[in-house]
Amino acid sequence: MRDNGLQTLLVHDSGRHNFLRMNYVAYLTDFISVGPETILLVPLDDQPVLYLSPVWDIPRAQQESWVSDVRPFKEFRSRLPNVMGKVGLIGREAMYVDLYEEIVKSLKQIPVNAKDILETMARCKGPFELERLRRAAEIADAGVKALHDDARPGLKEFELAAIVEYRMRSLGAEDNFGMVVANNHNQALHPATDRLTQPGDIIIGEITPCIGGLFVQICRTMVLGEPPAVVREKYAILHNAMGLGMDAAQTGAPASAVAKAINGAFVDAGYEKYCRPPFMRVRGHGLGCGSFAPGSLEEDNQTKLEEGMTFIIHPNQYLPETGYLTLGDTVVMTKTRAESLMRSSWDIYIKE
Amino acid sequence: MIFGRHSVLKRGCSTWDAQLVPQAEFQARLEVMRKLMAQLNLDALVIYGDNYSFADLTYLTNYFPKVRGGIAVVPAAGAISLLLNIGSRDVPFAKTLTWVEDVRASNQVGADAAKLLKEKGLDRARLGLVDSGQGFPLPQLEEMKSALSRVTWENVHSLFQPIRLQKRPCEIAAMSAAGRLLKEVCDGAAAFIKPGRKEYEIVADIDRLARDKGAEDIRILAGEKRLNPPSFKQAGSVGSHWAVYLAVQHERYWAEAGRTYITAQDATLENVYARAQEVVAAMAKQLKPHRTMDAIDDIARRELGEFYAAASMYGIANGIGLNQWEAPFLNEDDARQVGALSVGATRLDENMTVALRVTIATEGKIVLFGDSFQVTAGGAKSLLDS
Repeated sequence: MRDNGLQTLLVHDSGRHNFLRMNYVAYLTDFISVGPETILLVPLDDQPVLYLSPVWDIPRAQQESWVSDVRPFKEFRSRLPNVMGKVGLIGREAMYVDLYEEIVKSLKQIPVNAKDILETMARCKGPFELERLRRAAEIADAGVKALHDDARPGLKEFELAAIVEYRMRSLGAEDNFGMVVANNHNQALHPATDRLTQPGDIIIGEITPCIGGLFVQICRTMVLGEPPAVVREKYAILHNAMGLGMDAAQTGAPASAVAKAINGAFVDAGYEKYCRPPFMRVRGHGLGCGSFAPGSLEEDNQTKLEEGMTFIIHPNQYLPETGYLTLGDTVVMTKTRAESLMRSSWDIYIKE
Repeated sequence: MIFGRHSVLKRGCSTWDAQLVPQAEFQARLEVMRKLMAQLNLDALVIYGDNYSFADLTYLTNYFPKVRGGIAVVPAAGAISLLLNIGSRDVPFAKTLTWVEDVRASNQVGADAAKLLKEKGLDRARLGLVDSGQGFPLPQLEEMKSALSRVTWENVHSLFQPIRLQKRPCEIAAMSAAGRLLKEVCDGAAAFIKPGRKEYEIVADIDRLARDKGAEDIRILAGEKRLNPPSFKQAGSVGSHWAVYLAVQHERYWAEAGRTYITAQDATLENVYARAQEVVAAMAKQLKPHRTMDAIDDIARRELGEFYAAASMYGIANGIGLNQWEAPFLNEDDARQVGALSVGATRLDENMTVALRVTIATEGKIVLFGDSFQVTAGGAKSLLDS
């Protein structure tokens, strides 16, 4: 704040949790709001105040966050005119227009968009976050194992998804960006439908449990029964691409290197056009609520991979012979390279 | 007002039951909306929705955003378009959820919305903006408007509110289906809530029960001393009782209930819970056409006495439907908390749907009872027992 000449920071959250975007209030307070209006007011030389709705959630905020001064959101409105000096605003992207205009009017100034302060601070995870991410990774692995154990023909897609969700929630997961679908030729990942699974179905999953507001993601493929040889053959391309992507994820390298390595594997196998929309676009991405850095793994992303960054590498791919196949791990950048947080095998899982 | 923790993805059963809510239903809704547009001299509507607040978008299109937001462009005549923040490979799945044929993918909804409106010849038009959930990301909204300098914008965020107040027959059918599903979940939850079990383990059981029955989405708040959203930090074990707020979404429509599961012999708790049920029953007697929302509040004040203030923090009565909270609201403060511009209606009418809930906090413990109702000529009809 000093470097930017800011006397006050207003950090906003709308309760619209998005795993592709950072939750700035949660990052600073360790409190995940449920209501539509939450603002952390951070004076340069005084204690922060957390304003939130609904008021009945104030005791939880006091228990879960380190901020001791938690107040009803309507008190923020009366505080605003007394805020002096240059003001920075973080979270404008998720703010509704009326609130923004009210803030501008009350402050008699347009606050500076200060999100880069937190985006920069948060891009590399510290031990506190990594501990949670490792726990989430264990839960993700358990979700995959539950699917391997319990998936069978005759279940509906939403029941397959519920198997994974149940296992992960039983271990403490708070949320899940989870898509589990089954077909003999999947077009794409999507939320579950009521389709009945059949023998020979390829089950693909993008499983993303959340612990303490931090997500990890794992992508895997399994088959109900012995698949045709072409499925194993094409899945081997993903396996190879995953290894190449991991190898390319060197500390100091640009994020684009990972995307190029993965795309290269598919280009070499004759699938260049399938590396572009409408088939595929990104080869991984940051995971939000914490920092979304390094962003999407695309060939033009020059963001340098830094120690402590966490993101998923996923060479998920639609192939005309097999449909959409999935494989991916959340990784953490060490001093030298990416290390997977997951323990599940990269191999395709065949359920006899 | 009560809020559950909003999930990052609507990941439950995602289908369109066209027998329950057929395409003809949406054509009928569209005709009503176009008459309203004509009265306001609007050339088109731009309706924003996201996975947090999708009611108006869904009301016309049946589509509901699963992750990020999108818009519907509804011209005064001609085809509706959906512009959604999804990948192009996700379009075929999106089309399974809507009758709208023109579904487009975008990763820059603001800029692409401007292009779409120009394509439809609406770049000098009078356009109504509907964003009743106040979710249109500010930079995207600014981008859209700045690219359309000759458009006259009218904020008509409440346009849908009056026509969504009284539910149409197939809406009642959809809400009844949600209510029946919720009742099964409420009944089944009793088997999971045992002393000594961790709270998040019970949440997992309840969540699975609902998902296995085809719920689109679920909200759970629970606790002994206060209502908490699921969190790994809420790892305590159940003791003498557990109060649970449950809301289930099925085929887009919500139903909610509150229940308290008493796990030990505790006459005081049982009496308090019985009292909560009596108060809800007394409030439900007001759910008749032409009665006022104030009458519900009066009953709650009278019956709850000193406990009214704490109960009102969670909200006592509000409309329910495509939103967990919608008009009619009990008062302006409740409406404002959820971003609504007004209470919507002060008098009840047939086929309005209302959630009633009573929380009683006493001796450091919380007890909750609630239910969702349809207003009929003969009085309140529980959606959980329909």
